[in-house]
Amino acid sequence: MSHIANVENLRLKFAGSSSLLFKDVSSSFFEGEKVLILGPSGCGKSTLLQVLSGLIPHAIEVPIKADHITTPESWGYVFQDPDTQFCMPYVDEEIAFVLENLQTPRSEMQDKIQQYLDLVHLELDDIHTLIHTLSGGMKQRLAIASVMALQPDVLFLDEPTAMLDPESTKQIWDTIKEVARDKTVVVVEHKIDHVLDFIERIILFNEEGEIIADGSKDYIMTTYKQQLMDQGIWYPGVWKDYIKKEQKTTPIVPNKDHELISVSEFTGYRGKFPKIEIEDTTVFPGEWIAIIGENGAGKSTLLHSLMQLIKTTGDYKVDGRSVDKVKKLTNDLAFVFQNPEFQFVTNSVYDEIAYSLQIDKLDQQTIDEKVTTFLNEFRLKEQKEQHPYQLSMGQKRRLSVAAAIIKEQKIVLLDEPTFGQDAKNTFKILELIEHWRKQGTSVFMVTHSMEIVKYFSTRVWLIEEGKLTFDGKAEQLFKEI
Amino acid sequence: MQFDFIHKETWLHKINPSFKLIVILVLFIMVLFIHNINIMMNYMVVILFMFLLFSGQPAKRVILILIPVLFMFITTAIPMIFFGKGDTTWFGWGLIHITEESFFRGIHVGLRALIFTGLGIIFALTTRPVFLFYSLMQQLKIPSKYAYSFLAGLRLIPIMIEEFQTIRYAMKVRGVQHKRGMKGFYEVLRKYSIPMLSQSIRRAHRVAVAMEAKRFSQVKNRTYYYKITFSWNDIMFVLYFLILLSAAYFISVQYPYFAITDVRYK
Repeated sequence: MSHIANVENLRLKFAGSSSLLFKDVSSSFFEGEKVLILGPSGCGKSTLLQVLSGLIPHAIEVPIKADHITTPESWGYVFQDPDTQFCMPYVDEEIAFVLENLQTPRSEMQDKIQQYLDLVHLELDDIHTLIHTLSGGMKQRLAIASVMALQPDVLFLDEPTAMLDPESTKQIWDTIKEVARDKTVVVVEHKIDHVLDFIERIILFNEEGEIIADGSKDYIMTTYKQQLMDQGIWYPGVWKDYIKKEQKTTPIVPNKDHELISVSEFTGYRGKFPKIEIEDTTVFPGEWIAIIGENGAGKSTLLHSLMQLIKTTGDYKVDGRSVDKVKKLTNDLAFVFQNPEFQFVTNSVYDEIAYSLQIDKLDQQTIDEKVTTFLNEFRLKEQKEQHPYQLSMGQKRRLSVAAAIIKEQKIVLLDEPTFGQDAKNTFKILELIEHWRKQGTSVFMVTHSMEIVKYFSTRVWLIEEGKLTFDGKAEQLFKEI
Repeated sequence: MQFDFIHKETWLHKINPSFKLIVILVLFIMVLFIHNINIMMNYMVVILFMFLLFSGQPAKRVILILIPVLFMFITTAIPMIFFGKGDTTWFGWGLIHITEESFFRGIHVGLRALIFTGLGIIFALTTRPVFLFYSLMQQLKIPSKYAYSFLAGLRLIPIMIEEFQTIRYAMKVRGVQHKRGMKGFYEVLRKYSIPMLSQSIRRAHRVAVAMEAKRFSQVKNRTYYYKITFSWNDIMFVLYFLILLSAAYFISVQYPYFAITDVRYK
C-alpha cells in the first residue's frame, strides 16, 4: 500500500515559544485508512493536521523543517469553530464559493449545491438561507457539505464536534461515517465515543509533542488506558472510572429550612417577546440545579433573567428580599459565562480575582489574603502575574469561576462551564463547584451533559420552548424518559 | 441578526451595481461644481424624490432614516450660517454673525451634504453587498482576493454585535463601574476593544485559513454563481437623472427662487 500523506523527522516551532513543538516526528498515512490522533490539549495535534494538509506552511506561515513531507493531492478540512469556516452570508453562496474555486460551470451549480446539501442531510426550505440563523450542528453539516464539494480523497477533521451538544455530536458523526466511508480520514478529537467504531488506527501523543504509541484501535485502548485518563480524553467509560476512583456518592442537600430564591409568575423578555416563563418555584441552599433542554429552548435566557440582565416581570425574591429592593445583585449572585475571555476585565490573573473586592474598596490586606486563598484553591498561583489571555483553556475556565465567586456569593449561575473542556479539566471544575455547594451555595448550571445531571446535580430543570416543564430529581427524570 | 436592509425590490435593485456606483460617483463630483443655490435645491428634490419613491423601504423606516439626515443638514449648515463671511448683517451676537451671504451659503453647504448622504443611502439600501462585489469582479475586474475578503469581513459583523452584547452583560455581572470624563471613556474603550479585537483577529485568521482550505486562489477563469449583467434598468437610471436634472437646471434658471446665482464669497 502506498502512503497518501506522510512526514519524516518534522521539526516545527511557533514564533514566540521557547521550545520546539515537534522534534523529529514521523508518521505515514495510507489510502483508505481511518486514523484518530489523540493527545492532551496543546500537544500539537491540530498543527500536525495542518502540516499534513499543507495548510502549514502554505496558508499559515510557520517555520518547519522536515526530511520529507507528502501532502495529498485532493483533501478537505473541517474545522472546530462553526462560526469561522464560512466567508459568504448564505448557505447556497457558501457552497457556490467552493464550486467557483473549482471553476464549475455556472449552469451546473444549482443542482450540485442541492446534491451536496442532500448528502449531509441538511434540509432547508430554501437553500438561500442565512448561515447565521443555523444552529451549530447545521453549520458543521454545511461545512462538511462544502468540503465534500471539493471531492476530496482525504478528509482532515479537526475536532468537528468540539463546540456541539451531545445530540448534534452524534448526528455529525453519523453524517461523517456515511459520506467518508470510502475516503482516507484523519481525525483529531477529544470526545471519542462516536469516533471509535469508525476508526481503525490511533496515534497517541504526549504533552511534549512526541508520538508515544501508534497502532490498532484495540491495542491502544487496552494498553494505554492510563495515559488516556491522565490526558483528559473523553474515552467511553471515563465517567464510570471517575466515579469509581473518587467513590462519589449521590449528593445530599444539607438543609431545606431557608428559601434562597423564590419566584412566581416569573417571565423574562428578549426585546418585547417573553422567552422564558416559570410559574412558581423555590430554591434552597446547597442545591445543585442542572438546567437542561434543547438549543434555543431558553436555558441561557433563564440565567440572564435571574441575573436581571434582561427585563423580567413577576415576583422574584432573593434571600427573602424582593429583587427590586436589592441594591447590588452581584453581592448575592455570581455569574459565569460560557466563553471565559469575555468576562476578563484586567491585565493579570491576580487583579482579575481581586477585581470585585477592589470595587467594594476592601482594605489591601483582606484582599491579599482572600485572593491568595483562591489562587491556591483554583491552582493558579504560578500564573498570578500572567495576562488572563495567555492561560490555557482549563486555566482560563478556572480563573473565570474564581473571579466570579470571590465574594462567596450564596448563589452561583453557570452557563455551560464545562463546554469544550477536556475530561480532566471538567472534573476539576465540577469538584470545585461541589466543594462550594457543600458549604451551602446554590448552584444553577446550564449543561448538556447527562452525566453531570446524574452524578452531581441534586435537582433538574427541563426547559422546553421557554417553559419549565420538569422540576425534580434526576432519577425521576430518567424514569420518565 | 439580519444584515440586509432590503425590504421590497424595486427597479433600483436591478441596476448593475458597478454601473450604479460609477453613476453616483459622477453625480457626487457634479454637485461639487454647483454654486447656484436654485439649482442645488432642485437637485436635492430630484434625489429626495428617488429616495421616497424607489428605495423599496416601508414608510416608517423612510421617515426614521430622514431624522439623522436632517440632523446632518442642520449640523453642516449652522456653522456656516453663524460664522461665515458676509456683508449684509441680519443678526449679530458675540461670535455669532449671521449675514445674508452666510445664510444662503450655509443652506447651500447643507444641501450639498444632504445630496451626498441621500445618494449614499439610496446606494446602500438598494445594493446587496454580495452582488456589488460580484459585479466589481465581473465588470471592473477587481482581483477576487479583495472582493472575497470584504465579503468574509461582512459576515463577521453580526457575530461581533452579539459579542458586544455578551461583553456588556459580563461587565454588568462583574460590577464594572465606569468613571466619568475622558479617563472613564478611555477605560470603557479599552475594556470593550481588547476582547473584541483579540477575538476578531483570531476569527479573521481562521476564516482566511478556512478559505484557503476550500482552494481559494486567484484562478484566471473563475466561474461565478451570480452572473451580473446590464439591463434596461441601467438606461432608466441614467435617463432619470439626465431628464430630471436637466429639468432642475432649466427651472432654476427660468424661475429662480432667489436672485443669488453664486453663493461663494467674493
